[in-house]
Amino acid sequence: MKIAVCIKQVPTRDVQPRVNDQKTWVRDQDASFELNEPDAYALEEGLRLKEKHGGEVVVCSAGPARVAQALRESLARGADRAIHVEGDALATADAFAVSEALAAAMREEHFDLVLTGLQSDDQGFAQTGPILAELLGFASATIIMEVDVQPGGLRVKRELEGGWFQWVALPRPALLTIQSGINQLRYATLKGIMAAKKKEIRKVAPPEGLASRQRIVHLYVPAKQKQTEMIGGTPAEAAKALVRRLRDDARVLS
Amino acid sequence: MILVIAEQQDGVLNRATWETIAAAQQAGGPVTVAVLGAETAAVAAAVAAAEVAGVVRVEGGALGVYTLDGFVMSLAALVEAEQPAHVFLPHTYRTRDFAPALAARCHAPLVTDCVGTKTHDGQLVFVRPVFQGRLLADVAVSGQAFVTFQIGAVRADAVALGASPAPVRTVAAGVEAAAIRQAPEAPFREARQAVDLTQAERIVAVGRGIRDQDKIALAQQLAAAIGAEIGASRPICDAGWLPMDRQIGSSGQTVAPKVYIALGISGAIQHLVGMKGAGTIVAVNKDPEAPIFEIADYGIVGDLFEVVPALIKELQG
Amino acid sequence: MTTPETWIFRILVLGFVAAFLAQVTKRARLVLRARNNITIADEETGSRLLRFMTEIIFQSRTIGERPLVGLAHLGVYWGFVAFAGYTCVQFLAGLGIVDLTDTKAFHVYAIVLVPFAIAVSVGIVGLMIRRVAVRPKALGDTLSIESVVIGVFILTLMITFLLEFRLEEGVAARVNWWVHAVVILCFMVLIPGSKHFHLVVSPLTVYLRSSGLATVPNLDFGKEEVGLETLKDVERKQVLDAFTCVECGRCQVNCPASGTGKLLNPKTLVLQIEDALLAGKFDTTLADIFDPGILWQCTTCGACEAQCPVGVEHLPLIIGARRGLVSNGEAPVALGKVYNDLERRGNIWGLGADQRQKFVQSAGLEIFDASRHEYLMWLGCAGAFEADFQKALRSLFNILRACGVSFGVLAKERCTGDVARRTGNEYQFQELARANIEDFRAAGVTKILTSCPHCLRTLGVDYQAFGFHAEVVHSSVLIADLTRGMLVDGHETVALHDPCYLGRYAGVTAEPRDLLARFGAKVREPVRSGSNPFCCGAGGGLLFEEQESGTRISQERFEQLQATGARTVVTACPFCSIMLKSAEASANAGVEVVDLMTFVGGRMKQAGRKGEATP
Repeated sequence: MKIAVCIKQVPTRDVQPRVNDQKTWVRDQDASFELNEPDAYALEEGLRLKEKHGGEVVVCSAGPARVAQALRESLARGADRAIHVEGDALATADAFAVSEALAAAMREEHFDLVLTGLQSDDQGFAQTGPILAELLGFASATIIMEVDVQPGGLRVKRELEGGWFQWVALPRPALLTIQSGINQLRYATLKGIMAAKKKEIRKVAPPEGLASRQRIVHLYVPAKQKQTEMIGGTPAEAAKALVRRLRDDARVLS
Repeated sequence: MILVIAEQQDGVLNRATWETIAAAQQAGGPVTVAVLGAETAAVAAAVAAAEVAGVVRVEGGALGVYTLDGFVMSLAALVEAEQPAHVFLPHTYRTRDFAPALAARCHAPLVTDCVGTKTHDGQLVFVRPVFQGRLLADVAVSGQAFVTFQIGAVRADAVALGASPAPVRTVAAGVEAAAIRQAPEAPFREARQAVDLTQAERIVAVGRGIRDQDKIALAQQLAAAIGAEIGASRPICDAGWLPMDRQIGSSGQTVAPKVYIALGISGAIQHLVGMKGAGTIVAVNKDPEAPIFEIADYGIVGDLFEVVPALIKELQG
Repeated sequence: MTTPETWIFRILVLGFVAAFLAQVTKRARLVLRARNNITIADEETGSRLLRFMTEIIFQSRTIGERPLVGLAHLGVYWGFVAFAGYTCVQFLAGLGIVDLTDTKAFHVYAIVLVPFAIAVSVGIVGLMIRRVAVRPKALGDTLSIESVVIGVFILTLMITFLLEFRLEEGVAARVNWWVHAVVILCFMVLIPGSKHFHLVVSPLTVYLRSSGLATVPNLDFGKEEVGLETLKDVERKQVLDAFTCVECGRCQVNCPASGTGKLLNPKTLVLQIEDALLAGKFDTTLADIFDPGILWQCTTCGACEAQCPVGVEHLPLIIGARRGLVSNGEAPVALGKVYNDLERRGNIWGLGADQRQKFVQSAGLEIFDASRHEYLMWLGCAGAFEADFQKALRSLFNILRACGVSFGVLAKERCTGDVARRTGNEYQFQELARANIEDFRAAGVTKILTSCPHCLRTLGVDYQAFGFHAEVVHSSVLIADLTRGMLVDGHETVALHDPCYLGRYAGVTAEPRDLLARFGAKVREPVRSGSNPFCCGAGGGLLFEEQESGTRISQERFEQLQATGARTVVTACPFCSIMLKSAEASANAGVEVVDLMTFVGGRMKQAGRKGEATP
């Protein structure tokens, strides 16, 4: 099976990002970057499918030169080769532009299956995968927990709301967005790292005329930051206040 | 005109639709609501109670069961016909599935998971969280845009109701069943053999503060009251008061529920790394210096044997 | 002696010596076939010779751990050496080369040997009783017939020697002579294939043993080194170790894993290598040679290596084998997650740097500036993120400020790589080490202060292989020095748990006791303390593995501390603290586990209020 896994390199999670002067994006310069964690699950699934069914895993990414590091990390985990659509503007492009860039580079490869993570930890659009499917003309399904390869097609388990699931059959070629946490992520082994140095990263220029259709005009820190709110009073009073917070503010209770 | 795509399943309207209608009303201008399905009369009539310009029933046998291709085909045709300024949808598992492809087919941008709208330089912009909610972005679009709204971001009861029901019309779905590539089977709930806390949306966890094995029943009552699973820190499982598959910690289960209530748990680091991904963390502990309070969203310093019964009473009352 | 006798003897000697040499050659080939990992710096010769004297000649380790047994062995060993000349003379006579048995010198020598013979006899009888009747656990479950046979041989040799004085001429004397000679030949031929090969090999292995505990060299990635995968990868010192093992079981009885019902047994490990080498299983993976899963039961506490009287280095073997597994993706699942967390976040918990920043700010710490600060305060992963340990650090900061010591922290820290190194993820360790050293050099760091013994070892010893030589000191040592002469009243009974990486690896045992004694504590020693503590169970990556077989190591240690009767346990390592607190919580024992810095800081505060502490 010829499998593509689309990955994104994002600023390190769990760090408060600093807004740039124009207030349109974050300060890139001193930021550290990492492989988008949802995409790591897609890569893990792709590698498992290759181990089970044979074939190759090609990891693809669109972004500036620094993205090569994330590609190398993926190669070190077992991907066979990589495609890097290189362009600085791609770092802040919207999902549509990124999908167009990827589609142009991936179309001629004629993949059987394309996997992506659910969404990126920075923009969090959750769109690049399905838009890419649309551009490539692939059948697609999202939030996939399990992949069952069938002759000529797939049977996949979709996650639905409220603890419901659903199996869906679709033909290949197909694109799936993979749910996080479905597998234990493998680590980069020494042998994998050594082998990765010899694997190919094909650089491709993005197509002409790529334009984002949405742009951030103002980026800012939300008024309410995560602070621990201590609730005082008698047990009955505290209970009442807590339930109200959980229902109305946090909205985690129906 | 803003087109709102309602969501229904087997004749039951998803509550989030009301929130989306409210968002459309707040954005200004006339609102049209579309209902897709095989039998949409009842849902359409319900939706028509809102203060909207009209309701469109998109009916077709092929739309009885949700498929990505079916919905994209019929909605693309509808959007082409109606030419709305924008299309609003609730951000649900279903719209996450089809909205990106639909927007791509209509050559329009999709702005996902918005928490509100505002005007910026006279233009309508959409507010969405980025970097896991650490920052907010005001997003402007050129031309028609598809927008999904985060569940609960807009209050459903903010919907303005119409003096009289809005007009309802029906259009054909325009879907060739043969062109639908997805073949979905019936949805099901997982038969829970083993406990899988990693998938739980709500967890009540007990720690050493529970003091006695038979006091765990109290925590279980709280869990039942909010539909939560029971979890525990290591000492509880070591003592055999709860089975090992209930242990949450660095190599017990790593959980990421929407709400995590820690009862009598001090917050030792091995436990913390197992639940730091939780959405909203509530801690109840006698010790005001317990490390758990540093990562909790809400904290109550007190005797859990008094607080928990009060909570249960409040939830049931 | 008659000519036929001489000829028979010559033929026998030839045969037995040939058999002996054949075995020795086979083993020598195995040693030479293995990759040479033995490097001795010239300046070390002196210390090695000294070690040779104390450990080989004077048997310091055998006597140290088991005094009676050690002394008995000393008797047998010195006797053996003393008899060498005697045996030579007798054989020369028997072979018809030269007969010195009638010389005066020889007669004097023989008389001098009598007390040795008695010492050997008493010693060997005592040791045999221990082996056959007492059956200590250390010697294994099955009785070694071979050892009994050799014991009988030794006794026979002494008896036949003593009988010589009684039997002058005649058949009885000849028979006695022959019995003695044949027993020697039989003994000789048994040596290479038994634990008695240590007679030949242990002087070598003791001399060649690395100077520090758990000395594991860096892997050279340029040469595509990946660690020990199959038997043929095992290195020369490790092959020598396999042949030198005396099967005494000191490693086994001191091992915390063995002592809590786990399959891991350091003695078995070494002997399994020996068996596999002799069977020629060069392409078998080490994971298949050892019992399944045991490689991941080791906490790297070092008790095995520290006890071994013949210089066996267990840890390079275990860590080497771990490297082989880890480079092939076969690390346990719990560790795989830690490696991913280390890669993404640079700390073992997978937590974000913001949280460390919060602590730095709330503790009022300054960013390290070489022109203003004497010490770089290294927080470590626990210091950056673990709330309880941060309390201990706050006490430390107060003490340092009170004593006028200037210190700062790095703006960003990444893990020293201790867990990566001990569990065999060499690539990750070297990545972290190089990046940290670059930061240290850029900041002009020359002195590092840490409260974590694992960081102490990694920064102070492991980083030297990268050319980084800073003065790295544990807080207990610095504070003991700074507060010298300070005395606080009090008699609180505490049990002291020496962290393995502090007491055993770094040899720091006096300073914590000194501090406690001067700050109002009466220290009760648990069994296994000082430089031979019983591990808390966190090391070697086991902090992350909560599915232990047998008894939990942390529980075992906590019970040992509880048995002292003290209501307070003091320790000086964040990981010991985590493990013991967890064990205490499970046992619901009502015992307080407190860090040494918190204890001292608290007493200083109290004394300050009462106006007692006098510098």
